[in-house]
Amino acid sequence: MSDCDDNDAGWIFYKDRPDWSDVKPVPEDDGPTPVVVIAHSEKFEDVYDYFRAVLQNDEKSERALELTKDAVELNAANYTVWQYRRELLKALGTDLRSELDYVESVIRLSPKNYQVWHHRRVLVEWLQDPSHELDLTEEALLQDPKNYHAWQHRQWAMKTFGLYDTEIEFVDSLLTEDVRNNSAWNQRYFVHNNYTGWSDINVQKEISYTLEKIKFVKNNESAWNYLRGVLIHDKRGLNGNGLVTSFCEELYRNRCRSPFLLAFIIDACEDAIKKNEADGCHNAIRAIELCDALATKYDKIREKYWKYLSNRFQKYKSENGDNHSV
Amino acid sequence: MNNEEYNILAQRQHSKYFMRFLNVLPSSLSSHDTTRVTIAYFSVSGLDVLGSLSSISIELRNRIIDWIYRLQVQPDKETGDMSACGFQGSSTVNIDFNADNKLYRCGHLAMTYTGLCILLTLGDDLSRVNRKAIIEGVKALQTEEGNFSATLSGCESDMRFVYCAACISYMLNDWSGFNIKRATDYIMKSIAYDYGIAQFPELESHGGTTFCALATLSLTNQLDQLTEEQIEGLKRWLLLRQIDGFQGRPNKPVDTCYSFWVGASLKILNSLQLSNYASNRSYVYETQDIVVGGFSKWPDTCTDPMHTYLGLAGLSLIGESGLLEIVPTLNITKRAHDHLKSLHEQWANES
Repeated sequence: MSDCDDNDAGWIFYKDRPDWSDVKPVPEDDGPTPVVVIAHSEKFEDVYDYFRAVLQNDEKSERALELTKDAVELNAANYTVWQYRRELLKALGTDLRSELDYVESVIRLSPKNYQVWHHRRVLVEWLQDPSHELDLTEEALLQDPKNYHAWQHRQWAMKTFGLYDTEIEFVDSLLTEDVRNNSAWNQRYFVHNNYTGWSDINVQKEISYTLEKIKFVKNNESAWNYLRGVLIHDKRGLNGNGLVTSFCEELYRNRCRSPFLLAFIIDACEDAIKKNEADGCHNAIRAIELCDALATKYDKIREKYWKYLSNRFQKYKSENGDNHSV
Repeated sequence: MNNEEYNILAQRQHSKYFMRFLNVLPSSLSSHDTTRVTIAYFSVSGLDVLGSLSSISIELRNRIIDWIYRLQVQPDKETGDMSACGFQGSSTVNIDFNADNKLYRCGHLAMTYTGLCILLTLGDDLSRVNRKAIIEGVKALQTEEGNFSATLSGCESDMRFVYCAACISYMLNDWSGFNIKRATDYIMKSIAYDYGIAQFPELESHGGTTFCALATLSLTNQLDQLTEEQIEGLKRWLLLRQIDGFQGRPNKPVDTCYSFWVGASLKILNSLQLSNYASNRSYVYETQDIVVGGFSKWPDTCTDPMHTYLGLAGLSLIGESGLLEIVPTLNITKRAHDHLKSLHEQWANES
């Protein structure tokens, strides 16, 4: 957030305002040895000198409420200003609906500020009215689809007030817009975890959905991670779902070498080994081949990691006899 | 750009850069008004990593220490209540209050954590720290869910402050204000389906919060609560963050600060050596301003103290020559950590 100019037209310093003449400003006392001193504008100093004064006097008045607006405008990250503002709202019985509008306008200016979203949340809790939260966060997410604050507020409102009905459509629209939007994939998981549930039918539906998205962009970590997350709810594990297995094998046969595909097959091999399936060594050999391919060709930046994984499979193979040949 | 000429640490410029921030900042940084202690931390610890702590004169050192101590909130004189104790981030509301509104003057966990880091780095013996009061202040901020709020005065609670609370408890060698079991449960619930760790249960995995969670588990000796599957999943998730430098989330742009957040997370899991140091290093150097010092998040953008410090700390993790070793959990140098250990011994002998 940038500092406001001293020369905004019509601005009158608090120290020059007749209706504030009864208040003695309280300058910041930074002690005899200040460091990391911010050379604040004159306006900033003036507003905060008066803010300190009303805070110290515990003045609960309309003019104090207005003053907190000026203080917020100069530094929306000052949590004491927001806390005092909330105390004022309570003491003055201010219309909280207009406060919702106000904080919405501040969120528009500072959508990545912790304090503004916290203020919003407290207001919604006070009002027990979440009817604008989906729209508000949607607007913030249309501007920045990965805004963590907006997602956090949205999840909070949805969980607290049960607002799940239309979320899957919203998530779908975000993924149609950008299939690599990891936040949207995470939200999809959130909806199923809390609302739709992970019935066998739903798991199968989500798998089909995800495979379609992977077909469209194969080198998309978010979709592959989601697939893995859905399969947590499939009792057959990573390697037991026929639809997934044949999808992966077909991609592989068609020469797709996305590191995420190869990593998925490696994990499926590991899953098979862990389940003590008969062809453990065969799976280990395949995993080693894929690790080596990743290390030397398809994901060289993680060469050391894939070699590390390869060694783990080597160890398994040598401990369990490698008389099977491929 | 992999131009070797630029892959050289502009040590002198970075030292000057931090020295400037210790002095006076432009009004454009007014939004950092309540968190000046963190800027002091980036600068002081940054100078330490650079091996340039001697740039800080004895006089300046004492000024910084005295300034930090002035921000310590003391127990209530009348009731003895310690719930507001800790360090403030600046003197913006460092004023006297009456009984009704005194909670506006309260410590903030991130400021207490970074304030203590500064004192340790400058070789202070923490003798003026009211340890019991600070621990009571930490205790007052742990929530039902197991995470921590930043302050008593109306703030959000999340993984960041779990980390700060853990660092404070570790540095003061007193865990009586930190319920380890509840915090560990919170961390476990925040592990996502992709094995990364989020700010809050069910949110998206994030490199910064994954660091906070892993460092906390390490400081509380709870890393063994992670299953092998979770540890291997975390290693994979963290290593996949490397593009050249590191990104904080899948499909997000690379950013200098994640060379520390993700790098330190990997270091805590003894797996940093599985990453590609050369690419990481090149990226961080692309964000270096060799003329006036500092690092930025992206090449050719504005530098700031946080990215400068974390860029250097990230380089230190991969053994960049000319930089002091960093302790990944606390994010201070090993030198400062050794000083802390000697204080712990001293306290043990005193009790």
